Parts: sequence; structure tokens; C-alpha cells
Amino acid sequence: MGLLTDPSAEQGKATKALLKYHTKLSLLLYLSGVVWFCVLAYPSMNASTYFSENALLPGLVKSEFREDKSAERFLHELEDEMKKYKDSVPYSWILAKFQQIGLDTYTHNFTLNSPLKINEKYPGKNVYGILRAPRASSTEALVLSVPYRPASSPHLTTAPSIAIMLAFAKYANRNNYWAKDIIFLITEHEQLGVQAWLEAYHGATRGYEGILDSGDLRGRAGAIQAAINLEFHEARIGQMDIKIEGLNGQLPNLDLFNLAVKMCTKEGLSSTFKGRANEYYREPFDVWFHYFKTLMAMFFTQATGIPNGNHGLFHSFGIQSLTMEGFGQAKIRATKVGFLSTGRILEGIFRSLNNLLERFHQSFFFYLLPSSDRYISIGLYMPAVCLIAASLIIKACAKWCKLQETPENESGKKSLARKGMDNINFERIITIFLLAHIIGMLIKYSPQYLIKISEEHDLPATKFVTNTLFAFCALSFAVVYLVSFKTCSNSMTVLNIFALLELGTTLICISMNNFSLGMFCATIWAPIALFINPTSCKYYSYMQRILWLCLHPLAILTTVVMINTYTMFRGEKLDEIFSRGLGATNQAIVFSIVDSMIYGNWLYTFVTSVLLPNWLCFWCVSFSVSKDNEKEEAKIKKTN
Amino acid sequence: MHNLVLFGLIICVSSGLTYKQDTFTEELLIKPLYSEQLYAHFQFSTKWDVDLDVEQFRHTHIFPRALGEIIERHNVQELHVTLTEGLWRYESWGYPIEDAAPGAEVWAWFKPDTIDVEKNWKLLANSLSGLLCASLNFVDPSNSVSPEFTFKPKGVTLTQNVNNTFLRYATLPREIVCTENITPWKKLLPCDSKSGLASLLNSGFIHNTRYHSIGLHLRPVCREDACQHMSLELQQTVSLVYDYAIMGTKNWSLKKLFGQAVNGRCDLADKSEIYVDITSKVSNDFNLEPKPDEVVTSIRGGQVSTFAKYTIKNYFMSIHSVSTGDKISVKAPPLLHANQYVTGYGQERGGIVTKIYNNHWSSLDVVVLQNIPWYVPIYLHTLKVISDNKEVQPLALRYIPGKQRLKPYYVEVLVSLPPRSITSISVDFDYVFLKWQEYPPDANHGFYIGSAVVSSYLPLARNFTGLPQDGSTIADSFNASRSGYLVQVRTENMVITLPTPDFSMPYNVICLACTVVALAFGPLHNITTKRLRLKVKNNETILVKLKTKVINKIKGVFSCTKDNDDKPKKE
Repeated sequence: MGLLTDPSAEQGKATKALLKYHTKLSLLLYLSGVVWFCVLAYPSMNASTYFSENALLPGLVKSEFREDKSAERFLHELEDEMKKYKDSVPYSWILAKFQQIGLDTYTHNFTLNSPLKINEKYPGKNVYGILRAPRASSTEALVLSVPYRPASSPHLTTAPSIAIMLAFAKYANRNNYWAKDIIFLITEHEQLGVQAWLEAYHGATRGYEGILDSGDLRGRAGAIQAAINLEFHEARIGQMDIKIEGLNGQLPNLDLFNLAVKMCTKEGLSSTFKGRANEYYREPFDVWFHYFKTLMAMFFTQATGIPNGNHGLFHSFGIQSLTMEGFGQAKIRATKVGFLSTGRILEGIFRSLNNLLERFHQSFFFYLLPSSDRYISIGLYMPAVCLIAASLIIKACAKWCKLQETPENESGKKSLARKGMDNINFERIITIFLLAHIIGMLIKYSPQYLIKISEEHDLPATKFVTNTLFAFCALSFAVVYLVSFKTCSNSMTVLNIFALLELGTTLICISMNNFSLGMFCATIWAPIALFINPTSCKYYSYMQRILWLCLHPLAILTTVVMINTYTMFRGEKLDEIFSRGLGATNQAIVFSIVDSMIYGNWLYTFVTSVLLPNWLCFWCVSFSVSKDNEKEEAKIKKTN
Repeated sequence: MHNLVLFGLIICVSSGLTYKQDTFTEELLIKPLYSEQLYAHFQFSTKWDVDLDVEQFRHTHIFPRALGEIIERHNVQELHVTLTEGLWRYESWGYPIEDAAPGAEVWAWFKPDTIDVEKNWKLLANSLSGLLCASLNFVDPSNSVSPEFTFKPKGVTLTQNVNNTFLRYATLPREIVCTENITPWKKLLPCDSKSGLASLLNSGFIHNTRYHSIGLHLRPVCREDACQHMSLELQQTVSLVYDYAIMGTKNWSLKKLFGQAVNGRCDLADKSEIYVDITSKVSNDFNLEPKPDEVVTSIRGGQVSTFAKYTIKNYFMSIHSVSTGDKISVKAPPLLHANQYVTGYGQERGGIVTKIYNNHWSSLDVVVLQNIPWYVPIYLHTLKVISDNKEVQPLALRYIPGKQRLKPYYVEVLVSLPPRSITSISVDFDYVFLKWQEYPPDANHGFYIGSAVVSSYLPLARNFTGLPQDGSTIADSFNASRSGYLVQVRTENMVITLPTPDFSMPYNVICLACTVVALAFGPLHNITTKRLRLKVKNNETILVKLKTKVINKIKGVFSCTKDNDDKPKKE
């Protein structure tokens, strides 16, 4: 009971123990956090998925879809049409098909005002048809969407998914059991089209004002309950990959994912998650390793905060959605299924969603998946990141206690030490702390103005922006020279405490939203952050700086991109890979800025306004100089 | 004895008089819509030559007494109730004969001498709830408004100026309409569903449609052109929209639509007719079998329509239609239609937008009525009327702010729509927390906002099939050109999810608080009841401590045994 302890009392046993063992304790906490996370992939540490929402009644109806022949016909016709329109969508054909089926058909125009170039506009056009549910008043809707990819697109074709969508629409329009309208949406320009359509549907803007002009929709169908995005690359599908990671690491409700998996299984199609099927091993380590690899695949996708399919943009509007990507060639041994089965999968999913009486809310929104039939809930994975954050916070506590510690043995020193505590100039420390954050905010807001400047001086925006940002980051290192209390180790300790506390809380906060990002930052930042102390030892100090420099957000980005490039272009020479990687890094920076402007992706904002300032604080701490050193330097100067 | 005979005579005479005073007609209009649908509308109208103000409804002949008693008791002058499943799609279907909002909609005019309108309205809604087996008992002042412009009396009024304080309008957008509503509704008909056109209303068939609406409209009308006397008119309507895609074919017959053919007329009916709109034969040809008794051409407001007329005889009769031509028809959207939707995402702020499409070449004046429930607090200052990207000032605006749990938000806007324009009326609202008992049980779609009503007098009768105000049968609408044609477009309902608290949280809080109290109680009790005393600290090491403890124990054991041994000895 806090009230019952006397604040003026001597330090208790616990404090003493903390001071004595804090390094070991922090290290232990960090390691246990990492181990905890790794162990989660082992089957006995997680649970198998189950349906929480009884209203879904998955797979209880008898499949009646028999439009596989018309799907094949649609595919043939569409392929012919695609030859005519090399770069654009065959609107007239799609519109005609929608109308023949009997849907309310609409088009949606949108314009992207290029965020990198003023007055440069990219128009786009989506097509959608709405199946009006009989005896319902368009209060609720489900969405089935397909990104249209012209022949010139670098991505795999999605024509078969448009064919099956039309066939499903044809089948669905003849039935009178629908309680929710179904919107069949064909979008242009990949994620941009979906984003524009969603913004227009909700009359809202997610990114910066004036970048994406989402236009207006003529037809609507009430509140959207769920969305399924299709990316079938071939008519006969051997493997169905289910993608869930959305914008800013948001995930759909686990029930929706389970539903898709269950329907695929029912139709005899093996569903995979992250392109990995469930395999069975005898050795416990192999079992764990298989799950762990899948888990890490999801982990890294989620950490980027970039949606890996068009479904990812629905999440931020409170719509549960996922992408079903069908591959013709299966990586795993499986039988291929045709349009009949894929149509029945869609029928099953939509009839289940049709049963929903309320929004998806029963099952988990925060989870990790080590396979398509097992999940790790938020209650299980949060301790991992909390343990790591705790190690940082404990170190901060220990440092604070140490600052207040009064050496007991000699009464004379005691008073001196008190003075040392009084010497700390909190104003200056807070100024530096704030300065670091102001720099971060400046970098966050600079791209808009940089683009304007580059426009005025006719410079290539991409290069100009990235180079300027690099320069800004380099300049920000100079914050160190503004630190006037480098010699006062106590002041540096206080700054260190601030930085540690900030990092600890940030990690917990960020992992509440995007666990993978939080855990990723925690795993790589925490050990070095624990390692940084105001020190008088030169080599130790240099060591700190080098290590910390390696963890600069830009450095991490470059490393990640380099590794990625290396894995993608394994055959090429190292220097080619290096130049490729550098180019890709530049691209990545620009994309993260553009994403924040168009989609409201907050990775760039998070890195610049929180991570970078925090990095700068630690950077300053690593520059602490002991008084002796300074004296020596002064002597040297004098001799010179 | 003499008196008794006289009394009997009077009864005979009076009942004879009433018998002659009322007429009943039954009609069915089948209209292939230009889209892939078929519209069937039943119109049963009863006209009774009595004065509503005088009649006591002690004795009725054809007119349903159950309804008569209700209107007499609650001082009702005019009553309109519709129960609807589905939404009338104005854009592709044109205009219906009776507009109806999805769910239940009821509006009534009370007589000007009514003292407590609020109380009568509540009682009326409850009585109707019993009469029609619908949840109309949920109609109360918290969801009713008195619109100033939208709902004028449809019948005769005694005074020139009507006071809208005697009008009440409410909708229940959540109401689901099914067999339990049509069964009591059918009992109000003179022949029930035993014979006549009403026998076609088989629940198994009429509920498999795209749109299904039943209505009950009661009003006082003029008995003759001079309007010296008043009559009471009751219209009972059923509107159904069949979909060719769901039916699987474009060929229809009475049997396919309703499960059976007509087995004769209702004997009490003065007129029993079926009309088939054959205007659309030009684009989508079909052959009717048997041949119609008569082909009626109607020119109304510039629109020429032709109807095949069948008079129902007292024997079995069916009508078949076989589609022959399958030409593609050009859809001409109606002059005026509207949509309504919610904008925004999340559970903090949102907006309601009503979009009105004017496809006419000249401007149209419309009245938009919105009855917004109290749990959707709107901000009037955010009300914007934007027409083709330009802000327009409404001609008139009536607004009564809502009160939580007591009164809905009432907005009525009079706007002039520019020619060929899309006008949107938007207003922002906040999502609010409710009291914990006001949340619906777990499995719920959300909270409903009823449809808006967009009323206008159209200059043209394109796509218009409504009855003229002075008519009560479908036949009255033939060649009924008027200066304007009243349409009251109903928009979609909307569903919003209000922020719902985590109901398991209070339980967790209670558990946690109790634990904390329990933990705090122990130390507090100890500190307040026990005295703290200084104790000399023992600096012995653990080993020494253990040693002394063990030795003490052994000593104790020994001493104990000694004592035990000693005791009996002493005895």
C-alpha cells in the first residue's frame, strides 16, 4: 500500500535489489520477451480457430451454384475484349453484362492529383453493379470486388475472377433469399480505385485533402458489412491463398477468415495462408519451425502497414474484408478445382454473410496466425512486447533511483551528491527533448513543401525529396552540438531516462495497433537502447554511436530493402544489387510519403514524429563526455 | 306490442337504407414495368354515404366495423397506414399507385375538435397495432412529427385552413411485414379472402416478391360533385412487384403469380375488374389469353396508356400472358427520384445526405421531410442544400429540435430544384451513447433511421400511375388529367451502429474493485488495531538461527514429554 510507506524512509530492499541487478533483470526481460514471442508459434502455446459468431452457420446450406458454364463463357468473351483494350477496362462489355444479369449498374469516376507533381492528374473509372435484395430496403450490403488488370499490367491477370464474379451475380440475382444487397465492384488502378470508391461511398477523405478526388457515387446500398476481394489468376485453381493484412496492420475479424478457410475446405480446395499450407511433422522442432516461418511471414507483412491486397483498404472504414487469391499452379500437392467449386465457395461465403444479424464483433480483431487453422490471441502475444518494454522502463527506474541514491558511508560525500542532483538543469534537458521532436515534426511535414519547391525549380520530385530528407536526417545529427550539458553525466542520465520511458511507452502503444511493427521495433531497438549509457569510456562511447547509427530508421529501411532485393535478384552481381537496393530505398521513402498522403498510412508519420526524435535523444546520450576527457581536450587545445 | 313492431320496422328501414348507402369495388392492375419486373396492384375500395361526424359505427354493412369503432373512438378524420417489405425502386420502376415507406408508416388527421391529440394518437396506434398485428404500439410522441407541408389531408375538410397540430406522422423502419399482417387485413374486406380478387392473396406467393406493401387509407370524400354531403371512403391496397429473374420466365399467369386463378367475383362488389397495362407491348410484346373484354385508352398528362380490361364473371377465370418479342427497352427515368444515405465512418461523427434527382427540363419545387430519431442528434447549422456544386438557399425551412427520449428531430425543407439537376441535402450528426437498458438485445442490425419523404407536384404524368385525389378506383385514374400529379417519393432506410459499451466491463470493474477493497482492508485493519513496537534486530546468520530453533524444539519436545510423564505421577 503506497500510503503506508514513508517517502522519507531509506531505500527499501526492492530498490536495492533493483539497483544491483537491473542490468541482468533488463536483459532477462528482453530475452524472455523474444523467447515468449518465438515460442508462441508452437501448437501447444496457441489455440485452434473456431467460429464465434453462431449466426454465420457456415456451410449448412446445400450448394446450388451451377453457372460454371456461363463463367467459362464470360472468361472467353472477356479475354477477347481484353485484347481490344490493351491499357484500359472494357467498360462497355462489363456494363452490358451487369445490365443483362439484372443489376443496377453504375460507374464511378475519380481523379488522383499527383502528390509529387502539381497539376498532374490521373483519371480512373470503376464499374459496379448492385444486386438489390428482394424485400429489403438497401440498409445493408456485402461487397464482392475484383481489381481489373489490363494486359499491360505487371501483375498476374484477374480475368478469371471477373468471370466467376459475373457468373455468381447471375446465379445470385435469381434467388430471393438475400437479405443484404450485394455490390459487385470492378476497380481500376489496383488499390487506388478501391480507396477512391470507398471514400466516395462514405463521403470521407482518409489521406490529405485534395490529393485523391474521389468523386461521387450514384448508387449506394447502405452500410457495408463485409467485403471479399478476388484475385483468381486461372480458371482452374490448385491453391487458394487467403490474404488478410490491411492498411496500418489492421486485420479482419477472425470469423471472416475462418469462414473463407472453411468454405474452401468444404469444396475440397486447399487454402493456404502466406502461401504455406498446413504440413505435419513428427519432430517438435520441425513443427515449431514450420509454424514460426508462417508466423514471421505474416509478421513482416503486417509490420510494413501496407495492405497486401485490395481488401486492406476496407478495414479502415470498419468493413471486414479479405482477399482470396487463387493460383493455378499449387506449391503443394492438391487437386485443381474449376469454376463450379469456386462459385460454390463464393456462394457459401455470401450465404453465410447473408445470415449475419449484426456486424462482425464476436471474434478477434487482434491476432497473429501461425497457420490457417491456428491463431494467437492478443492476450497471448502482448506479454512479449510488454516484457521488452518493461526492460526499458526498469532500466529507467533504476537510473532514476541511482540518481537519488546517496552514498551512505561518508556524510561529506552525501551532501555533494545532493548537489549533483540539484545541478541537473531540467529546462535544458526538456528543451533538447522537445527540439528532437520538433525536428521530427519538421521532417514529417516537409515533403509537401519540398514538392512545391521542386516544382518551382523544375527538379525531379522523387530524387529531390529523398535527397533532402537524407540531408535533413544528416543535419539532425548535429543536435548533439546543441547539448550544453554533455559533461554533466547526471543530466545526460535524465535525458536517457526520458528517452527510455518514451521508447517503452511508444512500443506498447504501437503494438496495441500494429503488433508486428511494435514487436519489430522492440526486438531490434531495445537491446541497443539498453546498451546506451552516459559513459566516460571513449571506446564504449564510440561503440554506442556506431551501433546506434546502424539502428537509424533510414539505416533499418536500407537494410531491409537490401535484404529484400538480394532475395529477389539472387543471380545478379553484388554491386548491381547494391545500386538496385539504393534505388528501391529511395522509392520506398517516396512511397511511404505518398501512401500517407493518399491512403492515410501512418508508417511515415510514426517514424518521423516518434521514432526519429527518440533516436535523436539516445544519439545525444551516446555523446556524453566525462569531465576528465574535457579537461584533457582543453589541455590539448592549450598546448596547440 | 305495437311499439315492438314499429321498432322492428325502423330497424329494417334503417338497415335497408345503409345497404343502399355503401358500395364496394375490387380491382387488380397488372403492369409490366419497363425493367425486368411485373407490378400487381389490388385496389379494394368501400364507399359509405354517411357523414363521419354523425356516424356512431354501431351498425355497419360492408364497411369494417372494427376499423369504424377505432376511428370513432379516437376522433380520427383521416387515416393512412402502410406496411411494406422492400423498397420501391423509383429510378427503374417509375411511380407506384400508392407510395409507401419501407417498414410501417402511419399518418392520421384528427378532427379539429380533438382535445388531446397526443393521447388520441398513442391510443390510435395501439388500437391499430391490435387490428393489424403490427408493432404500431411503438408509435408514440418520441417518434412522431406534425409536418407542415408534406401531408395535407387527402379527403374533404370542413375548413379551408388546416392546422397541422392535428396531424401526426410516424414510421417504424424496423417493422417486418408478413403473413400475420395480411391475415387480419383481409378480414376487413367484405368477402374476406373467400371469393373475389382477395382470394388471390395467398401468403405463400405474395411474400416471394421483390416488393410487397399493404395499405389502409380512410378519408371523408364528397358524395356528389357539388359536395353538399360527405361520404366515408376506405381504400385497401396491396402492391406487389414480381421479378422475372426470380420467377424464371417472362410469361406470367394469375396462377403463377398468386397460386390460383380467380374463382368468381365477390358478390358484395359493385364492380370487379382486372386491368392489364398493355402500353409496354410496344417494346416488349406479349399476348394475353383470353382476349380482354375491352381495351381502354387513357390519355393523362400527355401520356397515353392502354389497358386490357377484364370484368370478372361468376365463374372460374385465369389470365395468361406469353412474352413474344424480346426487344431492349429504353429506360426513361421518372422526373423525380431520391436516395438517402449515411456518410462518414467510425462512431463519432456522421452525416445524413438526401440526394434528389430532377430529370425534368424545368425547375421543380419539392418538400423534403425528415423524421430523424432522437438518438441521432443533428446540427442544423450543418444543413446544406447543394445543387450541382452550388449552394442553394431553401425556400422555406421548418425545424423542431428533438429531445432525448421525448421528441424526434423534425426537418422539413422546401427547395426549388434547378432543371436537370442533382440536389443533395446534407446534415451532420453525432453518435451518442444510450442508457444501458436502451440498447437492443445482442443480435441486432443497428439503429434505424426512417426514410425521408420527398413530395412534389409533377407537371407531367410520365411513369405516373397514382389515383387522382378525387378518385378512389383505378378506373378513376383513366383520362384523369390534372394540373399537377402528387408524388411522395420515399427513400431508403438507414442503419447506423451506435457506440456500444462493453457490457462485460462493469462486471470486471466490480470484481477488481472488490479485490482492491479486500486487499486494502487487511493492512488497514492491522494498522488501526495493532500497536507497532520496536523489536531488537537479530543479527544472527541463518545457520545460527536454524541451530537455535532446532535445539529449542528438541528441548521443547523433551520438556513436554517430561511434563506428560510427570503429570500422571502427580495424580
